[in-house]
Amino acid sequence: MQEFSRRNFIKVVGAGSAVALTGIGCAPQKTRNNGKAHVVVVGGGSGGATAAKYLKKYSPDVEVTLVEPSATYYTCYGSNWVLGGIVDMDFIEQTYGALESRHGVKVVQDRVTAVDAEDRSVRLGNGDTLRYDRLVMSPGIDFRYDAVDGISEDDAERIPHAWKAGDQTRILRQQLEEMPNGGTFVMVAPPNPFRCPPGPYERVSLIANYFKQEKPRSKIIILDAKDGFSKQGLFEEGWEQEYGDMIEWRAASDGGLVEAVDVRNMTAIADAGFEEVQADVMNFIPRQHANRIAHDAGLTNGEGWCPVHQDTFRSEMDDNIYVLGDASVAGAMPKSGHSANTQGKVVAAAIAHELTDREPVSPTAVNTCYSLVTPDYGISVAAVYRFKDGEMQGVEGAGGLSPTGADSRTREQEAQYTRGWYAGITADIWG
Amino acid sequence: MKKSRLTFAGLVGAVALTVPFAQASADDEITRGQLMADTCINCHSAASAEAGGAPDLSRYPSDLIVSQMKAFRDGDRPATVMDRHASGYTDEEIEAMAAYFGQ
Ligand SMILES: Cc1cc2nc3c(=O)[nH]c(=O)nc-3n(C[C@H](O)[C@H](O)[C@H](O)COP(=O)(O)OP(=O)(O)OC[C@H]3O[C@@H](n4cnc5c(N)ncnc54)[C@H](O)[C@@H]3O)c2cc1C
Ligand code: HEC
Repeated sequence: MQEFSRRNFIKVVGAGSAVALTGIGCAPQKTRNNGKAHVVVVGGGSGGATAAKYLKKYSPDVEVTLVEPSATYYTCYGSNWVLGGIVDMDFIEQTYGALESRHGVKVVQDRVTAVDAEDRSVRLGNGDTLRYDRLVMSPGIDFRYDAVDGISEDDAERIPHAWKAGDQTRILRQQLEEMPNGGTFVMVAPPNPFRCPPGPYERVSLIANYFKQEKPRSKIIILDAKDGFSKQGLFEEGWEQEYGDMIEWRAASDGGLVEAVDVRNMTAIADAGFEEVQADVMNFIPRQHANRIAHDAGLTNGEGWCPVHQDTFRSEMDDNIYVLGDASVAGAMPKSGHSANTQGKVVAAAIAHELTDREPVSPTAVNTCYSLVTPDYGISVAAVYRFKDGEMQGVEGAGGLSPTGADSRTREQEAQYTRGWYAGITADIWG
Repeated sequence: MKKSRLTFAGLVGAVALTVPFAQASADDEITRGQLMADTCINCHSAASAEAGGAPDLSRYPSDLIVSQMKAFRDGDRPATVMDRHASGYTDEEIEAMAAYFGQ
């Protein structure tokens, strides 16, 4: 690929940028596309891969380089199905071949180790430097183990989080397989905001489904840092109907807030030490914040997430950088794969318009989080979003939950549409 | 209604699987209709249809998009999820995305 130096860029952009530069402080430079602009995308997950693919769709003349350390991406969606034994790991495996061969995205298998916003370049693990006109960051999350005593990242083999899919999913699945009938599975669920609000509860559902078939005397306890959770009524209805009293959920204010973990004895400690819950298998899902690289690049706020102008997902910290997906602060949009996917299209359109000096169109985004209560029992929460009063807000009168009390035929249909959604969204992102 | 829908989905399915993005030129306008339509793709493609999910909407007739979206929105057609999506769009928005799909 042709290297695109800053000097070249300025020469190509010419007068247009000079005018733009005299505007507000650090207004971004625009190109009229008579030279090739270069967009670097950090992270080939749900948001990044979508942004890269749709940038080439909306703006075929722009050069797009996607930087992602793994040759194989395991979707977190569907990883609960792996844990429940419904599908194998290869079902949730995605690769980058189509992005390169069908869509003209250059994929570099490496990690971005530093962002030089001043120089508009990123450094790669192999020491190379990539210059960009615009940078798109969709690096996902990292974990904050500091909120709970006694457990750290180093314990993730004994007590997995399985909140980034891959080896962690394999480890937890193996532990569940090795657990004796009559054992106790304990999940420590994180505080808001976190990746995939219904995710922990779909996970226990499908683990319960596995236990019901293979280890029916086993028990599941959720120790929650919250007093309520996504689709709670629907989950609880399904749990009671399908699993009787196998699943016990403890709210934060009811002894669920875990303060420490005794890793050696596989014990969670809550309620100022009065409550001790021993596990045969423990799944500790830590508190979360934006991925490390977003912090290092200076793109985060006090809470550890990346504030953006939500009509374009341009960073509030740097006009040449866009941040989307789980790492971003996106108003009413939950941290989900579906959100990240529609945000990727908003970012792609915003950059395409910006680079060709056209007015952006007002953004539109949607989300649907499907969850399986059993392989034949699906529920969902949906929303349509518009940019209003500086934020992405749910359109009133649209969206909402599957009905409670629905018949089994409806649940079955939604389970079928859940599988259809998986096939559709993964094809839209990596296909 | 139901019959024509199924026939149609069958017809386009096989073709759509092998067709990559139409190559837009740099000067093509990205309309709001297109942006909205692109938010439907992750549930509505050859891939989703093949997996038994929602039908492929590529080259789905515009008038059918309009009539079905309004029917979902106004509660005239039962749905598991489309009612919750369709009620997020005005008549003009539905027509704008239908025009894009129908191209
Ligand atoms: C158990 C579980 C179930 C879920 N189920 C659903 C569901 O049913 N529906 C749904 O919509 N969502 C679901 N999600 C949420 C969904 O997986 C995430 O919200 C989504 O993947 C976020 O996309 P992203 O692009 O922000 O981050 P990711 O998809 O995590 O992508 C980030 C990428 O960045 C890369 N990266 C990180 N650092 C660097 C660096 N320095 N340089 C280069 N690359 C880097 C990573 O390798 C990774 O590939 C689920 C999540 C979990 C944990
Ligand atoms: C979360 C997935 C999802 C999204 C997003 C979605 N749909 Fe749908 N769509 C479905 C499902 C599922 C059905 C089947 C009806 C039902 O049960 O809701 C459907 C049915 C339809 C139908 C009727 C198709 C037929 O021939 O029976 C049309 C038309 C349609 N959708 C249009 C759209 C448009 C336009 C958008 C984007 C604005 C959209 N859909 C977004 C899931 C989705």
